[in-house]
Amino acid sequence: MARAKGKKSAKKRTTKRKRGSSGESESLSPALLRARRVGLVVVVLAFGAGLWVAGWLLELDRIVVSRFEGRRFSVPSRVYAAPIVIYPGADWQRLDLAGWLTRMGYREQAEAGPLSVGSYRWLPGRLRVHLRGFDHPQLPEDDRKVEFRLEEGRVREIRDNRGAFVDVVALEPEPISSFFGSDREQRDLVEIEHVPDHLVAAIYAVEDRRFEEHHGIDPRRIVGAMLANLRAGGIRQGGSTLTQQLVKNFFLTPERTLRRKVTEAVMALTVEARYTKSQILEAYLNEIYMGRRGSTAIHGVGEASRFFFGKRVVDLALDESALLAAVIQSPNAMSPHRHSERARNRRNLVLDLMAAQGRVSPEEAETARARRISLASIALESGQDRYFLDELARQLPEVYDEDLLSVEGLRIYSTLDPMIQRAAVRALHDGLEGLEKRLAGSSKVETSEAEEQPPLQGCLLAMRPQTGEILAMVGGRDYATSQWNRCTLARRQVGSVFKPIVYAAALSPQSGPVVTLASSVPDEPLQVETRDGLWEPVNYDKEFRGPVLVRDALERSLNVPAARIGQAVGIGKVVEMARRLGIESGLPAVPSLALGTAEVSPLEIATVYSTFANGGLRPTPRSFIGLLDDRGVGQEQWPLEGSRRVLDPGTAFLTTSLLEGVVDRGTGVGIRARGLRGPIAGKTGTTDDEYDLWFVGFTPEIVAVVWLGYDEPRQIGVPSSRGALPIWADFLSEVTGERVRGVFARPAGVERIEIDPTSGARAMAGCPERRPEYFLEGTAPKLTCPRGATSRAGFFERLFGS
Amino acid sequence: MRRRSCWIWDVRRCDAVARLPRIGLLIPLACLVLGIGSGCSGLNLYDMRSVEEQPLTASAALGQTDSRRDASLRLVIAGLDDDAMGRPDRAIASYQRAVRVDATNPFAYLALARHHLEAGGSNEAGPFLDQARALFESEQRLGPAVDVWGVGLRAWIDREDGRDDLADERFEIARELSPEIWADERLSADELR
Repeated sequence: MARAKGKKSAKKRTTKRKRGSSGESESLSPALLRARRVGLVVVVLAFGAGLWVAGWLLELDRIVVSRFEGRRFSVPSRVYAAPIVIYPGADWQRLDLAGWLTRMGYREQAEAGPLSVGSYRWLPGRLRVHLRGFDHPQLPEDDRKVEFRLEEGRVREIRDNRGAFVDVVALEPEPISSFFGSDREQRDLVEIEHVPDHLVAAIYAVEDRRFEEHHGIDPRRIVGAMLANLRAGGIRQGGSTLTQQLVKNFFLTPERTLRRKVTEAVMALTVEARYTKSQILEAYLNEIYMGRRGSTAIHGVGEASRFFFGKRVVDLALDESALLAAVIQSPNAMSPHRHSERARNRRNLVLDLMAAQGRVSPEEAETARARRISLASIALESGQDRYFLDELARQLPEVYDEDLLSVEGLRIYSTLDPMIQRAAVRALHDGLEGLEKRLAGSSKVETSEAEEQPPLQGCLLAMRPQTGEILAMVGGRDYATSQWNRCTLARRQVGSVFKPIVYAAALSPQSGPVVTLASSVPDEPLQVETRDGLWEPVNYDKEFRGPVLVRDALERSLNVPAARIGQAVGIGKVVEMARRLGIESGLPAVPSLALGTAEVSPLEIATVYSTFANGGLRPTPRSFIGLLDDRGVGQEQWPLEGSRRVLDPGTAFLTTSLLEGVVDRGTGVGIRARGLRGPIAGKTGTTDDEYDLWFVGFTPEIVAVVWLGYDEPRQIGVPSSRGALPIWADFLSEVTGERVRGVFARPAGVERIEIDPTSGARAMAGCPERRPEYFLEGTAPKLTCPRGATSRAGFFERLFGS
Repeated sequence: MRRRSCWIWDVRRCDAVARLPRIGLLIPLACLVLGIGSGCSGLNLYDMRSVEEQPLTASAALGQTDSRRDASLRLVIAGLDDDAMGRPDRAIASYQRAVRVDATNPFAYLALARHHLEAGGSNEAGPFLDQARALFESEQRLGPAVDVWGVGLRAWIDREDGRDDLADERFEIARELSPEIWADERLSADELR
């Protein structure tokens, strides 16, 4: 009750006060009233502004938090080549060991003393290297010192730093290229624990000496900078702290406006309020712009350390740390590659500041000052490797899309062999240039008209037949002008390159076999009824030769015998064989298929010939082996897969033997003319009117396909033997040297018998000519030369085996 | 007379052959060997010699070809060591590097087949075994010393795939070739090493 009364009296008091107040206002002057209204508006506006500022601060805070706690950096995923393996006996010049050191940014250390990581020293007959450690999906390696003892172009032995023999050394895989986003920034993220103290000290000394003390902005530094600039009559010194620099790079544009500076200061305070100094410093070290390599921007001390010194941040020496700190202020003007004197002076200034601030001793600073700047060489990526990268991206599981690859900093380990890739790039480039010059010399087309036409294109693809690993891929003449990968995406008529598939179908026991290598096939006019009318194939030279043996027919790449064999075995069987061997493109089941009228990609052709080279086992083409995330943790692995048997070893061998004949005596003899020796098999292919030129060849260890043509098909003007073959030969010669290793050995179930090369009959004593030929067991000719002679082969075969 | 007999030898050695004092004895001896060979050609000599030959391990194959093969074999051996120590990822990487150095090294594929079988992957093992066989054959090294691996691993695949009759039959042959290795119907990394 008492409380209710109290409330009533209070209400009355309030009502009276309100009335009183109203009465006062009536008596106030208009000026006062106006002032009060203005005051009210000001209060409302101030409140509104306060709300707006609060909203702005919250928005800035949201931006800061989302950036810091999400993915802070877009790191392009990097693709690495397969590691080079060095062993005693290896040809170090062919493996390009010296070139590898340069490309990987190793530094030659001339002065005596222990080698630092990522450096090397040449001594008479010896090469000492302190190899960097590296990550790998399956077999990471620690850094180690090794000595290669060299003798006549070969590695005689390898020893470690204790003098013990080393069997094999896997070199760090070369980075081929990266999946850049639109900004083309490259960085190698570092964790603060792996950053040496002297690098942090150097950056503090020159960029922000009170970083550990201030809260994002440094009033003393701002005043100091203002005074310095006033004295200098222009802007000479900045007042930004590391936090402000980070904020500017992270969130803001480089414009010089008051608004931007205020925002920068507020965000710097927000960052400092929310995060530790250590987190801010780590972000700064990974973000800061450090210069350019070609069209790529280098960001962060991790990438800069590799770029300038070819080593990891953790391995930096004091003078190198000082140089990195020196570059930060103006990466282009202080670039040690372009302005070494300027860079050296600033490095020394950093060292002086460090000593003056007590961050290093004067002696340490002096020693570091005395060291000359030793930089790693700059290896610009070859644009031609991008074709391989595109194919790799296509083969990766769908989850690794373009967006993810450009930001996640994945490390993708590929099958590419850098030495073979360089040979492929060079052979195709030089071959196309040379061919165009020759064509221009003999062309009747006006020069101006010829210049308007798009250039002759080409593709060179190399594969390991046992595993399907793609060792090299150059999908066109110049990636900068055309990204169309002709090795994988183009479907072009294959011409005679298809014929071995027809022969394999006919030689296979599954088809009978329809022929043996000594069967006689008429090279005479042929007419075949088709749905589109009469088909009458002719040979390249429009001549007919009468009966020819199967081997001779393929060696000379005769069309009519191939067409007859295709008819004999049945086009359905030919299609089936092509599918088994690895062709997935559409194949028209028409008689002319036997002559290669189908349109197929070079990659499919490489698979077919790999199957021949691999004794009938078909590999699956593959371009990568594993993937690590940006912290080096394994995400995916694609270990080797075995090849599947799709053709019996005997038929694969017979086909290979035919293709060896092509190189030894037939249309591919230009290979031998170029001095290449050893087991080489191959086939030329020139389509009608010379629109497409092919050469596909293999050794026991490598298969390579060369295709040349125009994107809008038109006549090239030379046959394959003068266009594609020389490029193939140049490529192989660089990869293997003139002597090719290995052997195409005869498998069980194939016998070698002397035959009469004219009739194909078994050659007996008294036969005027003879040559050895291979047959599947039980398919050797029954007829003898001279006719009626008795075969004694059974006796000798039992005696010596087969 | 001496000159005429030389044509069956390498012609460049004719003079040396002619100087041999007991050539008269050597020719009948060679004929005797040939006669026995031809007479015995119908016998299955393969089975008779098999138990005499030692299995050709990766270590034993060192020094038989060239430096590349040796480097590749050393990587295979390193991989087998990793397999033996329970580090399958490292083992696979070593085998891959072995293939990289010498893609025609049959031991790399044998080791891969064994590795996959031990992990229960008979589907993966089969093609590697085919590859190893093709390469041994291309080097003309097929014979008991390497068949001991091939037959046994094939039997292991059969066992894994539930083809027990075939597995029994093949293991029996494998045990004839090497009872110690195949007594447990498993091939350890150390045994292939």
